[in-house]
Amino acid sequence: MTDDASVVRRRAAAVLQAGAALRTASVEERAHWLAQAATALAHEVHGKRSELSEATALSVPMVEWAARTTLATIVEDAMLGLARQAQRGSHRMRSPISMLSVILAGNVFTASVRSVIVPLLFGVPVLVKASSKETLFPAMLRDALVQTDSRLGAAIDLVVFPGGDVECEAALAELAEAVSVYGSDETVAAIGARLGDTPLIAHGHGVSVAYCGPDALDDAHVGNTIADLSLDICAYDQRGCLSPQVVYVAETVSWSAADFARRLAQEGLAPMSKTLPRGRLPLSVGANQAQWRGIAEVEGTLIAGDTYAISVRDTQPIRWSPGFRNVTIAPVPGLDEALRAMKPIGSNLKCIGTDSASLPELQARLADSPAFSAYACTIGTMQTPSLDALADGHSIWHGLFQN
Amino acid sequence: MTTRAVFKARIEALISSFEAGERVEPAARDGLIDDLAAWQATRIPEYGRLQRRGVWPPALPTDVFRFRRIAAHPVEEDRRVFRSSGTTSAERSVHAYCDLGLYDLAARIAAQHMLFPDIDDMRLIVLAPHEEDALDSSLEYMLARFAEWFGTGCTWVWRAGKLDLELLTKELRTAEASGKPVAVLGTSFAFVHAEDGLGDQRFELAPRSRVMQTGGYKGRSRQVDREVLLRAISVRYGVPSRWIINEFGATELSSQMYETTLREDIDGSVGPRRLWVPPWVRATPVDPDTLQPVEAEAVGILRIDDTANLDSVCCIQTSDLAKRIDDGIAVLGRAPGATPRGCSLAADQALGAL
Repeated sequence: MTDDASVVRRRAAAVLQAGAALRTASVEERAHWLAQAATALAHEVHGKRSELSEATALSVPMVEWAARTTLATIVEDAMLGLARQAQRGSHRMRSPISMLSVILAGNVFTASVRSVIVPLLFGVPVLVKASSKETLFPAMLRDALVQTDSRLGAAIDLVVFPGGDVECEAALAELAEAVSVYGSDETVAAIGARLGDTPLIAHGHGVSVAYCGPDALDDAHVGNTIADLSLDICAYDQRGCLSPQVVYVAETVSWSAADFARRLAQEGLAPMSKTLPRGRLPLSVGANQAQWRGIAEVEGTLIAGDTYAISVRDTQPIRWSPGFRNVTIAPVPGLDEALRAMKPIGSNLKCIGTDSASLPELQARLADSPAFSAYACTIGTMQTPSLDALADGHSIWHGLFQN
Repeated sequence: MTTRAVFKARIEALISSFEAGERVEPAARDGLIDDLAAWQATRIPEYGRLQRRGVWPPALPTDVFRFRRIAAHPVEEDRRVFRSSGTTSAERSVHAYCDLGLYDLAARIAAQHMLFPDIDDMRLIVLAPHEEDALDSSLEYMLARFAEWFGTGCTWVWRAGKLDLELLTKELRTAEASGKPVAVLGTSFAFVHAEDGLGDQRFELAPRSRVMQTGGYKGRSRQVDREVLLRAISVRYGVPSRWIINEFGATELSSQMYETTLREDIDGSVGPRRLWVPPWVRATPVDPDTLQPVEAEAVGILRIDDTANLDSVCCIQTSDLAKRIDDGIAVLGRAPGATPRGCSLAADQALGAL
């Protein structure tokens, strides 16, 4: 079921109009409502886990994990902290924009949470164009907001239309002061070209990687490293831009990258295929997976399980996997070489996960290097970004205030 | 006799026995594939690195041909090197041959069986470049051999890097007037470009005329639904749709598969449109996780074990989605995101569509 341009236009007008009422509420009130809605939604997810699994092609345990960990970030304290951060910045005297339109991709179903909650927190009403592949969760989110408070509920709505429908796209954008777009670089560029003067908040193609320094592999830490890394790889079946595609491993006297890969497979990915099973593999992805795995075997070492595979190979050239728990482990002498290997990824690199011991140095190096817009975090948290985590090198409220 | 010579003789014997009208037992073919693959694993290090999963030898992904030379012989012994026409990647598939004997044998016998089963030779009109203008194209090589083997005359209507619509029209009108059947052979792209350029001209080619189209659209140019193109060609050239067949080939393979309808029509039988798999080839949709055959008519990714690939690797894993239909295969297209490749792209490049 899709909406035509007249429906999109009508909903946009209604959402825009609701913005004024939303802004009469204080940020504290809005944070309270949003937290309430997140709690309510978490309960709803449990009841609809099978439908969500069907809609997202993720397994039921993965759906529940993803919703739980994402909604857990929507708490009043965190939102008020975010509001304070925004006020401390240059946005203090500026008003929020009158309306935001959001075009979602379908790869990570919980992406709608931050992209809806944050604007609403700042008093910006939102019209969401859901991926035609996945409308259930965004609809549940909207319903939870509607049921929490009428002012909040009126300031959010959802539309569905096929990608590339220029008339609907124009209707989506014409009343918005900014349009936030998630998708491939081609999609984002094409929409940007059609938007004209409307500011675009681009969330294009992104990949993430991880770096395990020498401490991550010592006896005291390797167990946690394996558990954390496995979660980062398996979460959302490695379909999102925060999923590590390549793990750079600093080899030590006692550990080769291949040794580490074998333990990661046996002690991390294999058990996780039971606790957080992979969803169904689309055949088109499967075809790419077969090619990627074959090349991995030819060019290095492949460690394959039922629903995962690790390619142990040199840092260059990078052979991007199709996701779905196909990951590369590349040996490096240390952080310098890892950063050098990441450099060609450029602005497409979104996040670098690392062990706690390596985090301060990595953060410092990223801050000093204009070649990177990625942020660093500890492994095990790559797929559960905090509410205030950077998005594409910008603060999460980027584009939500008038210039 | 060298091991290579022994294998070549076994393969020739298998293919030739089919030509002689003998039944080729699948067990004989499978035994040959097993033996050949084991020997190839010792000659080609890239293939030797693949691990066996299940009872069949491992299949080498087609993408490996883009990154590595897959040949048992040294470069100096290359007699012909075929390259795929993909340009989305700088790395094109490369398949080097030191000996085209098996390629020729397989191509001739498959075409005779499926494309020219009723006739020794006929006039050919080819909507593709001449071999000399595309020396690294396996399709152009094959079409040039068809001209030698099956052509009473052949006109390449692709001249100076473009489809010569005037020449095509003249050839078709001449064929019409002669009352003799012709074979029109070309890439899917070229047929689309002919559709775009021929306007409202219609032709009534003589009965027993036939059309062979090959290649996909690579996601790089105007795409036409397969059924729509089939109907358009039928109306344009006056050829019954069952006499319009698709040929499936690939740079990484030495054998071709053909749709069954023309042959069935000649034999007086009727069946669903599907690809005939030559008996010296094993074509199997496999599960992408296990790489084992899928059940019944489920969709899988197509593995092709081509015994005519003597000096490279006979077991090939493609990115094409496919399913079994009766005794044949239906190829449902290439997986999105897979490297577009194939001969029909060369034609489109020449037309400046990229």
